[in-house]
Amino acid sequence: MSQKYFQLSAEGINKSFDGFQAIRDLNFYLEEGELRTVIGPNGAGKTTFLDLITGRTRPDTGTIEFEGRHDLGSLSEHEIYRLGIGRKFQTPTVYTDHTVSENLLLSLAGNRGVLASLFFRLSSTQSDKIAEILNLINLAPHRDRKAGTLAHGQKQWLEIGMLLAQDAKLLLVDEPAAGMTDEETAKTGDLLLSLAGKHTIIVIEHDMVFVRQISTGRKVTVLHQGSVLCEGPVDSVQSDPKVIEVYLGRKHAR
Amino acid sequence: MKKRPRLELIVAGALAILLLVVMPALNAWAPEDSLFYVSNFTINVWGKYLAYGILAISVDLLWGYTGLLSLGQALFFSLGGYMIGMHLMLMIGKLGQYKSDLPDFLVFLGHWFLPSFWKPFSNFFFAALMVFLLPMILSSVFGYLAFRSRIKGVYFSILTQALTYGASLMFFRNDMLMGGNNGFTDFKFLLGADVRTAATQRVLYIFTGLALLAVYFGCRWLTRTKFGLVQRAIRDSETRVLFSGYSAANYKLFVFVVAAGIAALGGALYVPQVGIINPSEMTPDKSLEAVVWVAVGGRGTLFGPILGAVVINALKSWATRAIPDLWLILLGTLFLLVVLFLPQGLISIPARLREMLRRTKPAPTQAPAPQNPNIPAP
Amino acid sequence: MALRFFPLLLCLFSLVFGVARASNPAEVVSKAVLLEDKTEEQISLIQSADPEPQLIALLTLWKEGGILLLEKPDKQKVPVRLEDKKDADDKQAAFLLDGHPLLNAAGQPVRLLASDLSAAETDSELRSAMKSILDLSGLAAPDKTSRLQAVETLGMEQNPARLPALRGRLAKETDAQVLHGINEAIALTEIKSADPETVTSACRTLGDLGSIRSQDALGAIAKESGPQARAAQDALRKIELHLLYVNTLGTLFRGLSLGSVLLVAALGLAVTFGLMGVINMAHGEMIAVGAYTTYVVQCIFGPGLELSPFGLHLSFPSLKATGWLYESYFLFAIPLSFLTAALAGIALERFVIRFLYRRPLESLLATWGVSLVLQQLFRLTFGANNVQVASPSWLSGHWTLNDVSLGWNRVFVIGFAIVIVIGVFLLLSRTPLGLLIRAVMQNRSMAACMGVRTERVNRLTFGLGSGLAGLAGAFLSQIGNVGPSLGQSYIVDAFMTVVVGGVGSLFGTIFSALGIGMADQSLQQILGNPVLGKILVLAGIILFLQWRPAGLFVTSSRSIDN
Repeated sequence: MSQKYFQLSAEGINKSFDGFQAIRDLNFYLEEGELRTVIGPNGAGKTTFLDLITGRTRPDTGTIEFEGRHDLGSLSEHEIYRLGIGRKFQTPTVYTDHTVSENLLLSLAGNRGVLASLFFRLSSTQSDKIAEILNLINLAPHRDRKAGTLAHGQKQWLEIGMLLAQDAKLLLVDEPAAGMTDEETAKTGDLLLSLAGKHTIIVIEHDMVFVRQISTGRKVTVLHQGSVLCEGPVDSVQSDPKVIEVYLGRKHAR
Repeated sequence: MKKRPRLELIVAGALAILLLVVMPALNAWAPEDSLFYVSNFTINVWGKYLAYGILAISVDLLWGYTGLLSLGQALFFSLGGYMIGMHLMLMIGKLGQYKSDLPDFLVFLGHWFLPSFWKPFSNFFFAALMVFLLPMILSSVFGYLAFRSRIKGVYFSILTQALTYGASLMFFRNDMLMGGNNGFTDFKFLLGADVRTAATQRVLYIFTGLALLAVYFGCRWLTRTKFGLVQRAIRDSETRVLFSGYSAANYKLFVFVVAAGIAALGGALYVPQVGIINPSEMTPDKSLEAVVWVAVGGRGTLFGPILGAVVINALKSWATRAIPDLWLILLGTLFLLVVLFLPQGLISIPARLREMLRRTKPAPTQAPAPQNPNIPAP
Repeated sequence: MALRFFPLLLCLFSLVFGVARASNPAEVVSKAVLLEDKTEEQISLIQSADPEPQLIALLTLWKEGGILLLEKPDKQKVPVRLEDKKDADDKQAAFLLDGHPLLNAAGQPVRLLASDLSAAETDSELRSAMKSILDLSGLAAPDKTSRLQAVETLGMEQNPARLPALRGRLAKETDAQVLHGINEAIALTEIKSADPETVTSACRTLGDLGSIRSQDALGAIAKESGPQARAAQDALRKIELHLLYVNTLGTLFRGLSLGSVLLVAALGLAVTFGLMGVINMAHGEMIAVGAYTTYVVQCIFGPGLELSPFGLHLSFPSLKATGWLYESYFLFAIPLSFLTAALAGIALERFVIRFLYRRPLESLLATWGVSLVLQQLFRLTFGANNVQVASPSWLSGHWTLNDVSLGWNRVFVIGFAIVIVIGVFLLLSRTPLGLLIRAVMQNRSMAACMGVRTERVNRLTFGLGSGLAGLAGAFLSQIGNVGPSLGQSYIVDAFMTVVVGGVGSLFGTIFSALGIGMADQSLQQILGNPVLGKILVLAGIILFLQWRPAGLFVTSSRSIDN
């Protein structure tokens, strides 16, 4: 294990809120280019885990390292983002008062300093990229609409588009399929699969059909009560009696 | 849709010509008994309104565009005024009550020499530099501390209120050597011109108008860059901005310091025209009054604040003479009604009327067209 | 015959009574007055008498020229006093010194003209003798305050002649505070002694007693040379230590009481701002509502009140209460201020705030508008100047403990703050309403789903917060001015208190109120400048928030943001 190069490694993480232990001695390793799906029942600590990676909350103990060099526990949100870690939130979070294309513009990779923003000019490659993403996420006809007026599923797509615009190394995707039709869900899965390899991706999901779609032949991590219950291929995980007891035992696969 | 910006420019240009060329010309050359004569008093009052307009834009740049309700703008406004006031006090020379080189209040306090921090203010350019420097330094230190610890929303308002309150307590003290209660007044000369004459007042008025114009177009540019996009993004969802990799703290600090400088410019132009500056201009209530102008005019626009500053102050000039007892009740009620029923201010009334007209006809529901920032494409 | 023998008889008489220690002060004084020029005899006569209150009263009267001599037709003189009231002929009723009316031969009361009489004279020697009797008599006064005052006067006289009396009292005195005073007075007198050893020991005593008022006298001795100078220096050092201790305790006490004031003013805000998240800029005016309610109640108990706002005429009847009934007005004012302010708060919630729950900045602005309107209404109703709210006598005294002065109103403020805190705590934790409040504040939509009428709970919570502000106003009326801008002077401090304590934490509010109060008073004491102290406190708060942006006590939860 130790010879392998990990893109992200989290060791001995603990985090509690008001006495509630959300993360308990969590260890998690991710290789570059991997697409990892994290599943687990409600309250297993999935979203908290993403909060810890992105600097929204700080771990009580333990370290989270990115590319073996950066200690994420000591950086702030925007610094972590600038390392190349992007996140799609569980509930779609877009700039509601900005247009769709402005949302993408704000997410484009590039200098994010104050002065740079004052004298920013959109280059032709950048506007091509925006057009490309708009087509990919099916929002090209809506590029001048305010994002707040989009439907729920469209907002999800927009947020995924913002991740793409950012060109991040590590994508953290929290329940991308929520509120989408089956067709859209399948499309989202295809998109994520196409990104795997070029980017490292963590997907958190409840929808087992979706999980099967994107994680066939890949590793799945099951979280339970804040720590890793088991890890392995999706089939063996689903047949693991521990998993069935805590997760599938209560919530059957669709 | 594309007509809007041009219409805005036409209106702004027409108003600028009316206020900056026509009014001063009528004041200078129209015969006093003619219908078109603009009195010295009118010029003076409008000079005050326009200076307030500058202050209002600084409030709006923070509140309307960035979501930062600063109650410290009156502080920066008065600091600018105090800086130019120090120069004006030294220019009185021996014409004061005590026939001394020192400002009267220092003589009254028993001082024989000019305190060392007063000395450089006899130079106009130093004073003009300090007009900007002091408020901007203060705002950057305060802003750095506040934004670094992520103080936002109402907490930011409360802290800026405390800052202003603390500063006014300091300026009320005599041993601050800034005139105490009475502040500075009785000005005589500015750059060799007698500030008490109509001609000088007219020049000051024109300069105030030009400054307002410059501030208006400066902010118009600023809010249409990508910086402006980030600004509004911070207003709507600061957390998301962080997760888009922008240091919200730096952006807020920048706009806070710029707004402090703008407010200070307003104050520096205001003081020679009204002829007095004292700590009562510095209270949190004065900041809130400026917020009222912005709210009434229409926040998140650049024309709204100016409109609000002029309308409310004109109303104040009338009401404090006609119904002095009821003025504060009127102001408070007006403010309450605007916040509750007209959150976008007076400037949104035409759009609202159009909306109501459209609703009477069976029209297709079309989302309101957003304004495009002019981020130039190659 | 009678005439010739009279002086002899008198002498005999006085002798007899002198030995037997005449028990009737009126007779003693009468006789002394009649001795006229014989100062020495007069002195020995009045000194021989027991210093009982009647004697003291008569001597005082004499000293002030209130005893007059009536010369009868037979040249015999009679000491009399006149009634204050004059009749149409300017005549006044005359009384003998024993209080009986002066009768003429026919047994009728006599009325006299003051100008017909001559005052019983006193010379300086006699007057100083009288003064010493008067001072010494204070030593035996039944009430403690008079005794303390007499001891203090005698000590400051530094007259060795007073020592016997002081020592005599020392043996009889039982009250610790008076004993302390007597020891101090004795030592203070003894340092004037010529004997260096006495001086040295007196200095030591003064040092041990921590006698603040002997600092000047000791300072003079400290400049001399010899052992007594060293003793005086030691004593001065001890006294300074004592002074430091007194000042520190005094500062702590004032800090505690200022903290309690802040606490009471901020507690309502901790409910409306902390629990509900509503920025009520009119909170200060709710405080003023409470203060003005107290004023109105006081006026109703006292002289009545006429108000004429907007040309209306409001007249409050007077109960013309006096004595203890008037003094108790404050007990009625407390619940009434709570009620009026709570009703005002409920109205504010109903008509303004409930439209702005999701827009905190707008609620800040709207309530500021309300605050402007209210301030102007106060001005129009009660006038722009401060109104006078008299504290009941049971709030206006003070205790002195070991040189530390504790004002009753401040002690009351502290006690009251404790009661309110406990009350709010019990209300929130032990009552059904408290349970509802907590539920709604934690998760409004969830509570609504459970069938809680959240609108009503909001209204009641806001009423509670405003009512608490009203209580604060009732209180501030007892320790400060009541005017239209009363609220403005507390609003910034109150907001600071809640922010520093941690929004949503009543506990934090308590700690931060006491902390800010203490810091303010200590800085004021150290810097000797109230405004500078206040500015430093504000700066300190801004720096403190760097360290703990969310305040002292913040509950870490997953939904901090947005």
